[in-house]
Amino acid sequence: MTISQTITGDRATPRRRRRIRMSSVFWFTLPAAAIMLLVLGVPLVYSLYYSFTGWSLVIPGSDQDFIGLLNYTDVLGSSEFWAAISVTLIYAVVAVSLECALGILFAILLNMEFFGRGLFRSLMLIPMVITPAVVGIFWKLLYEQDSGVFNYLLGTVGFEPVAWLSLTFALASVIIMDVWQSTPFFTLIILAGLQSLDRDTVSAAQADGANALQVFRYLTLPHLVPYIMIAAAFRIIGVMADFDKIFLLTLGGPGNATTTLSVYAYNTGFKVFDIGRTTAISWIYVVFVLLVSAPLIWRLFRGASVNRH
Amino acid sequence: MIAAAMANRSTRKMLLTLFWCALAFVYLFPYTWMVLTGFRHGVDTISVPPRIIFQPTLDGFRHLFEVTGFQKYLLNSAVVTIASVLLVIGVSAPASYALAHLSKRSGVLLVAILVARIIPGIAIGVPVYLLATRLHQLDTYQALVVINVAVNIPFAMWLMRSFFMEVHPSLREAAISDGCSEWQVFTKIMLPLVLGGMLATSVFVFIGVWNEFLFALILTTSVSPTAPLAMLGFRTQYGVQWDAVGAAALLVSTPVIVFAFIMQRYLVQGLTMGSVK
Repeated sequence: MTISQTITGDRATPRRRRRIRMSSVFWFTLPAAAIMLLVLGVPLVYSLYYSFTGWSLVIPGSDQDFIGLLNYTDVLGSSEFWAAISVTLIYAVVAVSLECALGILFAILLNMEFFGRGLFRSLMLIPMVITPAVVGIFWKLLYEQDSGVFNYLLGTVGFEPVAWLSLTFALASVIIMDVWQSTPFFTLIILAGLQSLDRDTVSAAQADGANALQVFRYLTLPHLVPYIMIAAAFRIIGVMADFDKIFLLTLGGPGNATTTLSVYAYNTGFKVFDIGRTTAISWIYVVFVLLVSAPLIWRLFRGASVNRH
Repeated sequence: MIAAAMANRSTRKMLLTLFWCALAFVYLFPYTWMVLTGFRHGVDTISVPPRIIFQPTLDGFRHLFEVTGFQKYLLNSAVVTIASVLLVIGVSAPASYALAHLSKRSGVLLVAILVARIIPGIAIGVPVYLLATRLHQLDTYQALVVINVAVNIPFAMWLMRSFFMEVHPSLREAAISDGCSEWQVFTKIMLPLVLGGMLATSVFVFIGVWNEFLFALILTTSVSPTAPLAMLGFRTQYGVQWDAVGAAALLVSTPVIVFAFIMQRYLVQGLTMGSVK
């Protein structure tokens, strides 16, 4: 085929070519789209439908009771629901702030020059990837009041044992566990930010007499802000969907001290078997998470639409 | 003068190294303790004070395999994970290529993918359970594979799309002019170019599925759980068997740690769905 033929061929059939292209888009995306639609979309629609019924697995025939918005008004009026919201928010805000602060600190320390830096960068990743269920069960052992190693270590420096998993401390213990596991996530992303900071700019500022604190305040920190925002956005979404670790550490207890929205939804569905109510909670939960993550979705979407060749 | 400055510098490096040794020791202590627990007699762990120095033993592993039958759970996890990874990649690769190179107006699909990625699993837990019950699919590999595939497709598509975007579109145009079909362009030109990215994506999906707990909890009974779910069983019986818990924790978490180390280069890109490189 010569070049001129190709060109005339192209000119002759632009419409046909476009159609081929659209049909291949369809076939290329069909399997993935179909699975997402059937396995994620259909259950979501089902659960919207159930949320308007009074269906409870312990009351036969109740799946036919249409009760309108009663589940929603019920849930929104219950103190348990608002307790779960407040536990989720406290958990998210406190854990993510601490992770962010510690993450920045670790990243700066890992960005300095010392021997074995690569090794330490790798080692600090370990907590982040350990199976959350393993973290949950193991931290339960660490937190044991009488035989746990934390209280033993506190004892050796003269402190009284702490009732880590009691009503007073359980939420704090869950937060500490998550801070331990997720700080490396912040460290990793902020370190990537530090490494992309232009060294010449920093040297120029230093040559102009800026001290270390000024360099950090006026150069490093502004440069890191987008990295911190991205990490925080992903973490907030992760924390709000968190289930495994909390479930294995406390089962949401004692009482409902650590019952986050996800644990609350699980318990209503699989302990009380109240389908109507659970699906209503699920939908409120979905809307809540989507509202909180809307800025991140927008940012990712914008980034994806812009960086075409 | 220069020698003094250099000496100063290496002292600083030395001090920082020491500082990091101490910091890493403290920070990783829970992990170290977990590893040690797997090799220590249960009684040594619960003795007061806990024994820091002890006679190492493989009793925990022995108990785990001979009494608990943990190998069965590891096998369940392996089967579900490997099948899910293959399916996720097989289905997502063409889709993400199409999104990156063929479609100019994919906005709706992109937002749908992001929303699907962000919706918490528990939100569809109940209907998924009811559907699986109705279709008699509780306690089956296929139920777990199907749900894990669906949950991981959005992530895999988004990440692989960012790898396909790095390939210049002129490559496709040239191949099309040479008479390649879209499918040939995809399999012969694009796939080999993004192999590294595909491998990285596979590893991320592997870690995600291997660590998955919620749907395993919903879709399996205690008879045939995956390894992370089997950890739940220890919640009630650990009192006697700390060594077994430690051994199980080690066996479940080691593969993912190893994979994460291997994939370190791609970690940032993967964790931020391609928004930070």
